[in-house]
Amino acid sequence: MLILLKGGRIVDPVNGRDEIGDLWIENGRIAAPPHGRQADEVHDVSGKIVMAGAIDIHSHIAGGNVNTARLLLPEKHQNHLPNPPALPLSTAKWSTFETGTIYASMGFTTVIEPAIVPHQALQAHLELADIPIVDKGTLTVLGNDDFLLSLLRDSEGQAAVADYVASSLAASNGLGVKCINAGGAAAFKYNARTFSLDDVVPFYGLTSRQIVEALQRAVEDLKIPHPLHLHANNLGIPGNVATALATIEAARGERLHLAHLQFYAYGSEGEKGFSSAAAELAAAVNAAPNVTIDVGQVMFRQTVTVSADVLRQFNGASMAKPKKSVIHDGDGNGGGIVPYLYRENDFANAVQWACGLELFMLIDDPWQVFFTTDHPNGAPFTTYPEIFALIMSRDARAEAIARLPQEAIAMTTLPSIAREYNLNEIAIMTRAAPAKLLGLNDRGHLGEGGHADIAVYSPGKDLAKMFRFAHLVFKDGNLVVRDGRVTHYRWGKALKVNPGYDKAIDRRLAGYYDHHFGNSRDLFAVKEHLLPHADAFREVACAR
Amino acid sequence: MSDARVDGKPASLVAATERAAEILSAARMPVIAGLGTDAMGARASILLAEKLRGAYDHMYSARIFAGLDVMRQAGLMFTTPNEARLRADVFLFIGKDLTKVWPAMMERLSPAEIPPLGLAHEPRKLLWLAPGRGGAKFEGLAVETLDSLDLLTALANLRACAAGRPVNCAKSARRKLDEFAEVLKNARFGVAVWSGDSLDSLAIEMVHGLILDLNKTTRFTGLPLGVGANASGVVQTSGWMTGFPVRTSFGRGFPEHDTWRFDATRMIESGEADAALWISAYGAEAPPWKRRDVPLVALVSPQTAFAREPQVRIEVGCPGIDHDAAEFARETGTIVARKASHPSLAPSVAAVAGEIAKHLGGDA
Repeated sequence: MLILLKGGRIVDPVNGRDEIGDLWIENGRIAAPPHGRQADEVHDVSGKIVMAGAIDIHSHIAGGNVNTARLLLPEKHQNHLPNPPALPLSTAKWSTFETGTIYASMGFTTVIEPAIVPHQALQAHLELADIPIVDKGTLTVLGNDDFLLSLLRDSEGQAAVADYVASSLAASNGLGVKCINAGGAAAFKYNARTFSLDDVVPFYGLTSRQIVEALQRAVEDLKIPHPLHLHANNLGIPGNVATALATIEAARGERLHLAHLQFYAYGSEGEKGFSSAAAELAAAVNAAPNVTIDVGQVMFRQTVTVSADVLRQFNGASMAKPKKSVIHDGDGNGGGIVPYLYRENDFANAVQWACGLELFMLIDDPWQVFFTTDHPNGAPFTTYPEIFALIMSRDARAEAIARLPQEAIAMTTLPSIAREYNLNEIAIMTRAAPAKLLGLNDRGHLGEGGHADIAVYSPGKDLAKMFRFAHLVFKDGNLVVRDGRVTHYRWGKALKVNPGYDKAIDRRLAGYYDHHFGNSRDLFAVKEHLLPHADAFREVACAR
Repeated sequence: MSDARVDGKPASLVAATERAAEILSAARMPVIAGLGTDAMGARASILLAEKLRGAYDHMYSARIFAGLDVMRQAGLMFTTPNEARLRADVFLFIGKDLTKVWPAMMERLSPAEIPPLGLAHEPRKLLWLAPGRGGAKFEGLAVETLDSLDLLTALANLRACAAGRPVNCAKSARRKLDEFAEVLKNARFGVAVWSGDSLDSLAIEMVHGLILDLNKTTRFTGLPLGVGANASGVVQTSGWMTGFPVRTSFGRGFPEHDTWRFDATRMIESGEADAALWISAYGAEAPPWKRRDVPLVALVSPQTAFAREPQVRIEVGCPGIDHDAAEFARETGTIVARKASHPSLAPSVAAVAGEIAKHLGGDA
């Protein structure tokens, strides 16, 4: 079927377009304007904004820890809306079905779950399979697992590390590699209560820095498109900007993605010993073109923090609201689930909120800074529209700032910042740059041959409303959203990489599992035929 | 091939699923019970429940909620059998029948071995609180036991001792408690092991409190043994699909969870539910309710004996035996890929529930 989107404002930074024009779709792809053929379906989008579908690079939407959070807090997601018959479970709050439905209605068409330990991968992919409409992918968490730490301790060489990383990706069907508080979860099992970049993991004699460096090199050796995705040490601690700065330096000019940097932008100035150091951190990012970051914006409301940084979560459990939490000493990383209420009248929360916005505003290059709330850790992803409004409008920020404790705002540079993101920059930050960062050349733009993942927005004074309810959304050329409402389900793919490696490591791992765990490693493999929809995966090429 | 019966007479799978759809859709409040099935079977059943606007429950809910209710009121610290096996320098076994609940427990946790990831390279210490009669004797293993007929009080006393608080008990008992408390406090990575079969919510919450206290100075965590018939896997599946565990209803068009209202047996006995779909693919369990006049559709293992023949009875394969399955594995504490040990053509619960849903119209 030939579809024409007629007369919209096309915002496509990859192809240098910001103009009124037509967009053609055929067979799920963006097509060249056909000669002498009529469209089978025409959508008049004059006065509307046409962008590629948005891509979220870091959102905790699946896996054992997320599901534990759901089960921990039944009182926080009571339902009251029946779902339309065509969309089963779409109104069941916090369900996988609702997740896909809400993402799609905001114009998102690809979402990455960034923290899946290999032993939880099958459950994660079962959950992802029940997220309708969007494509998805997982990052495989390594860096606290005995096998890797033993390889490094015994100096088995970088080739062995790369083989192990590749084999773990293959078994878990991951799209990239994530490292969460490298060595910190392992050290916590030996009763460490703090863990920084140069602290040593007991039993292995390795520093966090060494683990990060080894994984970073493995990712490069394997030519995995997405750089190592790092959750650094000392998350959430006053004065931790020092750790973030040291971590940027530790990248040694090599590619590195730093996750939810807002949680590391803290100084220890002022009477309360807590201040924003976001300006200093943003300057360091501006000076390090090898580094990309996502923000992890905080918004004021009830949420739950879900993290495989089990050490951090254990330390944060005393702040739980409601007062209950789950701490899991799992295989490799484990994790912790700690409910949390960000309050507008709380000094520290107000500083955190400002830190995130400062990073958005003070990092110059929209190709380097990514739009996230670290869902649900800083805020649920459902707050995205409000955040778009905050970064696109100085007035919206001023209004929000006025409601906050002024002694908190005084510890930040936010009021002095005039910058407003334009639509082209939004399209870079939420479409073009994520596609590039993940190696997804087939999306994030509106060029010929790309996936017809398209979001059409109705511009208006209310920026949040514009981004909350997309006018039209196409996924692979299939019109799935009209006027902010999903019309039907379709099932997207899970994106994964499959780097080549020496299969000898698989035999060695089989022996390791049999001996160490007393279990077959095959138990943990993500078998496609166990998932509910056929043809569940799409491979992303590795050679960069 | 499937063995299906309608009103006791052999029927084709199509005829049986058609009749099942008729019975269930004619009900005002159908309930899907048992739910002894793999992740895909649970998924198809929950989608079917949504279509029927019915409720769903698991046969072992009482034991599921003994642990889950404590988690969602007070929290949980827990680990995996893998970590326990590799690291635990102290095992605190709690309650009777642990090896009955999990026959492979001693083999999996290998308490006789020095923990390979331990710093001290010393043999583990094994404590057993209230093991019951003859419950803690294992060849070649030195197990310190503390017998008690009153597990809850014993746990409370142990927690108080470990926290240095006063305890009101006989001197001889006090000595033993102190011994236990010392071992717990000196653990480097201690693991408390219990089963919801023998511990109620109060006892589990006490264990949780003990673990929290010990973590003020050292590392200690828990290993609940979980419940059979893939109960944990069904709860996980229900969790991501609806946000809630089992005992959830779609009566009002959206999932509502209530452990009392949507107890399947209570719903049937009280007459609130007027048709039931009973699912038991792992074993030959029959419904526990006494009432016989509620129409029953059963997806069950062969050899299941019913007090009264169900209106529709369809024999299904066992996950991991007749067909490959994703199910929660006690030995790993995760959902795993289980390969069929004796592949057969017996249909899966997912396939049959999906067929029933198709007869209702639309996709499952």
